[in-house]
Amino acid sequence: MLGLTAASAAVLAGCAKDAPQDTWQPKGENAQKIHDLQWPVFLVAGIVGVIVMVAVGYAVVRFRDKGQPMPEQSHGKPALEIALTILPALILVGVGIPTVSTIFDLADTSDTECIVNVTGQQWWWEYDYPAQEGCGGISDPIVTSGQLVIPANTNVLLRLTSRDVIHSFWIPALNGKKDTVPGRVHTLRMQANQPGIYAGQCTEFCGLSHANMKMEAVALNPDDFQTWVANQLESYVAPEAGSQAALGEAAFTANCAYCHQVNGLSSTAPDGTVTPVLANPDQFVVSGSAPNLTHLMTRNTFAGATWDLLTDECRDRVWNASPEEFGALYLQGVTAECLNAVDLREWIRNAPAKKPMYASDAQKANSGGKVRGMPALGLNETQIDQIIAYLLERN
Amino acid sequence: MAIIERPSTPALAGSGAPAVVTPSQAYGVLKRPVSTTGWRSWVFTVDHKKLGIMYGVVAMFFFLVGGVEALLIRLQLAGPEGTVLSAGLYNEMFTMHATTMVFLFVMPMAAAFANYLVPLQIGARDVAFPRINAFGFWCFLAGGLFLNTSWLLGGAADGGWFMYQPNANALFSPSHGVDFWGLGLQITGIASLTGAINLIVTILNMRAPGMTLMKMPIFTWMILVIQFLLVFAIPVITVALFLLMFQREFGATFFDVSAGADPLLWQHLFWIFGHPEVYILVLPGFGIVSEVLPVFSRKPLFGYRFVVFSGAAIGFVGWGVWAHHMFASGLGPVSVAVFSVATMLIAIPTGVKIVNWTLTMWGGKIWFTTSMLFAIGLVVEFTIGGLSGVTHAVAPSDTQQTDTYYIVAHFHYTIFGGAVLGLFAGFYYWWPKMFGKMLSERLGKWNFWLMIIGMNLTFGPMHIIGLQGQPRRMMNWTEARAGEGFFNLGFWNRVASVGSFVIAIGVAVFLLNVWQTHKKSSKTPKAPLDPWDARSLEWMTASPPKEHNFDAIPTVHALDEFFHRKYEVDHDTGEVRKVATGEEILAAEEAKADKHIHLPSPSYWPIILAFALPLMGYGVIYNRLLIVAGGLVVLLAMFGWALEPSVADDSDYDPPADGGGSNKELATIG
Repeated sequence: MLGLTAASAAVLAGCAKDAPQDTWQPKGENAQKIHDLQWPVFLVAGIVGVIVMVAVGYAVVRFRDKGQPMPEQSHGKPALEIALTILPALILVGVGIPTVSTIFDLADTSDTECIVNVTGQQWWWEYDYPAQEGCGGISDPIVTSGQLVIPANTNVLLRLTSRDVIHSFWIPALNGKKDTVPGRVHTLRMQANQPGIYAGQCTEFCGLSHANMKMEAVALNPDDFQTWVANQLESYVAPEAGSQAALGEAAFTANCAYCHQVNGLSSTAPDGTVTPVLANPDQFVVSGSAPNLTHLMTRNTFAGATWDLLTDECRDRVWNASPEEFGALYLQGVTAECLNAVDLREWIRNAPAKKPMYASDAQKANSGGKVRGMPALGLNETQIDQIIAYLLERN
Repeated sequence: MAIIERPSTPALAGSGAPAVVTPSQAYGVLKRPVSTTGWRSWVFTVDHKKLGIMYGVVAMFFFLVGGVEALLIRLQLAGPEGTVLSAGLYNEMFTMHATTMVFLFVMPMAAAFANYLVPLQIGARDVAFPRINAFGFWCFLAGGLFLNTSWLLGGAADGGWFMYQPNANALFSPSHGVDFWGLGLQITGIASLTGAINLIVTILNMRAPGMTLMKMPIFTWMILVIQFLLVFAIPVITVALFLLMFQREFGATFFDVSAGADPLLWQHLFWIFGHPEVYILVLPGFGIVSEVLPVFSRKPLFGYRFVVFSGAAIGFVGWGVWAHHMFASGLGPVSVAVFSVATMLIAIPTGVKIVNWTLTMWGGKIWFTTSMLFAIGLVVEFTIGGLSGVTHAVAPSDTQQTDTYYIVAHFHYTIFGGAVLGLFAGFYYWWPKMFGKMLSERLGKWNFWLMIIGMNLTFGPMHIIGLQGQPRRMMNWTEARAGEGFFNLGFWNRVASVGSFVIAIGVAVFLLNVWQTHKKSSKTPKAPLDPWDARSLEWMTASPPKEHNFDAIPTVHALDEFFHRKYEVDHDTGEVRKVATGEEILAAEEAKADKHIHLPSPSYWPIILAFALPLMGYGVIYNRLLIVAGGLVVLLAMFGWALEPSVADDSDYDPPADGGGSNKELATIG
């Protein structure tokens, strides 16, 4: 039967090497616990399935109408019935006990070594790292998005919530999923055995661009992680005066900084007074936040991890790197040679045309004049060039 | 009230005496409709058989609508970055595909079978409340049409059939689609609730003399279990839908986090309804194959009592497992553990059914009719769905599987493999009973094999793409996450899309079969009285049955009464001898025909009352004055309903009925 093929194919799905969200290739101890629990269940289910199908197959062939007399009109055999009720019950007891113990194992938070707050919103993830002694020490809070960077071989605890609708955080190679619910904080254990990059995706339907709300977890060895932390905490370096990037800074301040925070960015009034530029996304965006772009080019993705900041070639190099060389490659960030300017330009030119969002004037009218997602800003090509030049220095 | 119009012989008294009828006074000014032909005979009918057929026709129409929605979804996902549908339209499409298939196809199609067959299986002349029965059908139609008008009025609901808060509130889903969805389901919910009460009363009170509960046909038993599930489940979704309506239309804050509420409240309400709903969908199919397998295996159902009680057990345990839809929602380990174990428990009674069906065939003399093929198909396909269900009863693995295509694969194997294959087994099995003609077995086998191959091509690969990490409800998938090995998403998505069209061709063959059988030039002969050598009461009358079902209400002595009248079993040798044909048994019954058979008269009011409800629905959405207008029609219809005479008066007929005959009702209605 095709169904049988499908079921056994499902059991064998663990053999595939290449789908980045394969649920049968655990890369961390939490996902491993789930895997250790699930494959025997799949096996038993498969065996039971084969037994049923063989029994049905045998019955329909053996007892087809060959002109035999009317069969005995038996109404059943209670002893057999009871036996065949108890047998599956026993199998299920065998499944139930390890299930319950794994449930409690995976809910444990007492061995946490590092905390990251994760906030879902339409249609991207924000990660903020509170100042802590965990994670090898983080002196000041860090706010980033798109890629969750964690130290490898460390018990990271994610504290999950949402700013608008329910989302679900899922990095299959590292753990099962957990919903992020507005008004609630849920915890999820994360641990990666090796440095590397692990794909994930929002899995609770969250509206128009649900398909475009992706994420990646990046595990670095503890030294590399400290380098990453130090990089995130580096203070603002203004572009060289008169450069393309400096024009980009002005364009950014005039067009983007209403919503997107760049820490350290300031504006100078004609009289020389310097004021910090503070984003006010809550005035413009329904969920009240927009990605912090201070160190955009240390990430490999943008727009809810839907597009890569790296060209295909550079991306492949990072994704295919061995655990030993991964950290160094990742920490290079996005260089001018590796920048995927095509998608980034299209995005800055007209974001809602690239990713479905509620950002037109008519749509804004339904949500008190606020956008969900990023609106089209009506920038000209020169401004886009300048802004890209500016962003390229946000590393 | 209609209830007094049923045969006044208490069904359980066992006397079998002809009914004695005392028509009530025609005290109303309103006359009952009397047409026996033309559209009026359908629109104003209260006959359970006509209503059953109408349920079936409308449900089949919605099956095609939901099917087209499914095909569009599969076209969109056939390749990476699909552009067949926009993101918004895609979200509307999968929301409405699920809503249509659950509420407008499987549930009403089960109602079609229940309406048509339950009175026939228990030897009754109609249901307990015929006008309420008609009202239920019209509510279903009115609600279904109302729901689908949203496509033309700014877009259908786009929050998924589970309509989670806050994504489905007015801020995040600003079109009226969700309002149409909530109000439309509210209206179809009335159909389910009234139908449930009606069938419970019918089954408990109107069985033929001698038919104890444990001599009742298994299909009727399963229908009884389902009606109890409906009676308790529908009020929960009704409350939830009212909260949703007040939240969206009147500024209430039941699920509003900023006002201190918790959006998980909606999930609990939805799934306390939603999980029993799963059994509401699948138990009719179980009931049907539990009739079909014994007939074509020429043996009684193996372990009838076990099947009855496992059905009831599924009904009970089904109430304690709703949170397994929420294993990832942050319930905490204690709740998750409890619901995980409870979910495993439900596999036990389900397994009992699979075992009993297999053992029913064991040692039989199996006749591979199309109906039997669909029934065997159900046993196999549902088993796959049940076993994948066990894999996500294990809550930790469910956190890897939930909201992926693995779940889509699972519930299509249970609902398509369980409910839909069961319904098709029922079509082929009861078609000669309902319409007096047999569907072509040749086309039927094409129908079966196309559907069974199609479903495995469509839903089988979804196991793979789900375990490979493709989430549900995504308007597209990308090459970057597709992988390249044997299990790559690209290939298997394409296979699933091809499969969906194979199913569509299978359904088209069924429609062709119906057309071939019933077109004017059709040479299909009249079906024999007892084409399958069947076992239960509905076959002990003409096909299609007369308006009053049975000339004489049969007295029941055994489970499988009809079989035991045809066959004699030698208890020493176990030998089974045929002692009578169906025709002879029917002739004997007709000879005892009741002299005075009373049937309920048609009524204008059910359809008027039902169609006032969508008017009020439009009022909630567009203009509150329409609520008042619709409310007035409801009030008027209620008074009309209460005040119309309980039967048509002689003078209503043109030409008037003879008046002197004792079988007046027969003459006028039959």
